[in-house]
Amino acid sequence: MSKNAVQKAPKVKKPMKFQTTQKINGYVFLLPWIIGFLLFFLMPMVNTIIYSFNEVGVAEAGGMEMTYRGIQNYIDLFQKELSTANQQFTRVFAEENSNIVMNTPLIVVFSLFSALLVNANYKGRDIVRVIFFLPIVLGISIVTTLVTTTGGDVTGVTAVATEESGFIMRLLTSYSFLPKDVIGFIMGVVADISSIISKAGVQTLLYLAALQGISPSLYEVAKIEGATTYEVFWKVTFPIVGSITLFNFVYTFVDLFLDSSIAQEVYAFAFQKNNIGVGSALSVVYMFDVLAILVVMVLILTKVVKIGE
Amino acid sequence: MNKKTKAPKAPKAKKTGLFTWLKNAWNDNSITDPLVCKRTLQSIVFKFFGITVILGMCFAILYPILKLFPMILCDVEDLGNPDVVWIPIHYSIVSFKAAIRLVFGNFSTMFLSLLYAAVTAFIQVVICAMAGYTIGRIKIPFKGLVFGLVVFQFVVPPQSLLISQYLNFKNFDILGLFQLFTGDTVDLINNPVTLYMLSILGQGLKQSLFIYIFSSFFQGLPKELEEAALIDGCGFYKTYLKIALPNAVPSIMVVAVLSFIWNYGDTYYTGYFHPDGPYLAMKLNQQFAATNANTVTDAVSKWYDKPAASSFTYDAVKQAAVLIYLIPLLVIYFIVQKRLVENFAASGIVG
Repeated sequence: MSKNAVQKAPKVKKPMKFQTTQKINGYVFLLPWIIGFLLFFLMPMVNTIIYSFNEVGVAEAGGMEMTYRGIQNYIDLFQKELSTANQQFTRVFAEENSNIVMNTPLIVVFSLFSALLVNANYKGRDIVRVIFFLPIVLGISIVTTLVTTTGGDVTGVTAVATEESGFIMRLLTSYSFLPKDVIGFIMGVVADISSIISKAGVQTLLYLAALQGISPSLYEVAKIEGATTYEVFWKVTFPIVGSITLFNFVYTFVDLFLDSSIAQEVYAFAFQKNNIGVGSALSVVYMFDVLAILVVMVLILTKVVKIGE
Repeated sequence: MNKKTKAPKAPKAKKTGLFTWLKNAWNDNSITDPLVCKRTLQSIVFKFFGITVILGMCFAILYPILKLFPMILCDVEDLGNPDVVWIPIHYSIVSFKAAIRLVFGNFSTMFLSLLYAAVTAFIQVVICAMAGYTIGRIKIPFKGLVFGLVVFQFVVPPQSLLISQYLNFKNFDILGLFQLFTGDTVDLINNPVTLYMLSILGQGLKQSLFIYIFSSFFQGLPKELEEAALIDGCGFYKTYLKIALPNAVPSIMVVAVLSFIWNYGDTYYTGYFHPDGPYLAMKLNQQFAATNANTVTDAVSKWYDKPAASSFTYDAVKQAAVLIYLIPLLVIYFIVQKRLVENFAASGIVG
């Protein structure tokens, strides 16, 4: 019997190595994404870059006609073309970038702050949580654009609010050491709080999840060692939520850039001005702009997080 | 015996109010103790500021929604009356009626866009879970490259690829095959197939983020489970279906909820690739574009015999429409919100 088995063994098809099957099956699972990536990401990206160096028109036969222009499209973009709001593109980019770079840390810090608030222990915390995470739903851009009113706001309330902020502003200018610009900036942030809130839903949730993952024994140790609340935050909480901070920064940044007015400009070039070449040049600049700032930001942040650890 | 009587007393002592505490402190003279004084003062101040901040932030978050109600419930001709801030003088639901008549009709659009969001969310969960499983779990060549590309995709704004994606869909062709067989390329703009194809091929709304979530979740899953399954004779697919997926419920839920909400609110993909489709968010966007204000006002004044309809009316109708639009999302949110935090904690993005 056993002899037979041994003799038969070579005839049976040798099974594939475990790791090879794993690899093949893994790629099968990844296949839709790979196809999609090549067709709908890499190809458009290469095409966009090609268009940006050409003048693109529709040929008589129905296809596309391209004439090489070198970097003329880019020169036109910054010197000749104006945005839909009649501004130079250098200005559009400068404004968008400074806005986003300023708002990103604000939103992240705000979401950390609200996560800390919802993580503390008090009565009615569940209700507060429900409210604090509402921006996940209320923050989708269609709602934030439609909720704004053109004329019929609750006029009385806004009037009171501006009066009040004027009072606080006067208080701050006369009784604090802060320079006026800083106070102006703070007041601007406070007045714009609703836009910050509407962007902070997911980040708050992530921070809360990270905070809940911290084991209570760490806090106990810190307390026994005599650390103050302040020290506990910087030495225990902050380093642990550091990695998620990085993620939140990137997420916020990308999210803000998605809503930036530059995206609308791309649309205007392509479908209203019918100038695909310059529109593509704008897209390319937009893309590299995002990537460059992001790289700088991540580099700085990893340094900060490391120091925190 | 002693222990039993003591145990219930301890929590009772905590619950004494400020007044009782003061009385006790007065009686045993501890009120003059500076340390006790300082601590009490501190806790009172902390509580005061904490409650103020929390209530203030709750109000700030709810304000955009709260301010809708007086406007919507107000009679159209009362709008803009400086006397009316929070409480309308004459109640009416004309704005609701107008919003329903203008946008929602028989609610078929809403149903269809909910359906679209649900189907897309389902597709995205399936595709992203598969891709995430491979990236996070399986040792494949070029794994680091694939992961890097996913992150890269997340970072690059899709709008920057809009032009060439649009042209691509306008004259759609795969390696010249369609041209070869039918003699012409396919126009996929304004075709729902485009949207589903994007989702199936992993390029839909924020899908790279979802792949990232799944891959980091599967990376953290203990290996022993799968090894046991493999030893017991499960193949690759059975292991995935029986071991990996059931464990990934938190990630699945997070991705499904986010994907549903975002796809329901999406105006980018639907607006460019299927502009005539039944998508509520897009319809609202078109109907209530600022250039359309007069149309809305005229319609309301004609339908409901309100000659005094003004730009305030346009706002009120717009807000009523937003509120109706939000109802399904809010219902879903209230159902899932309790589990949302734990699911996020377990979904693998954190940590």
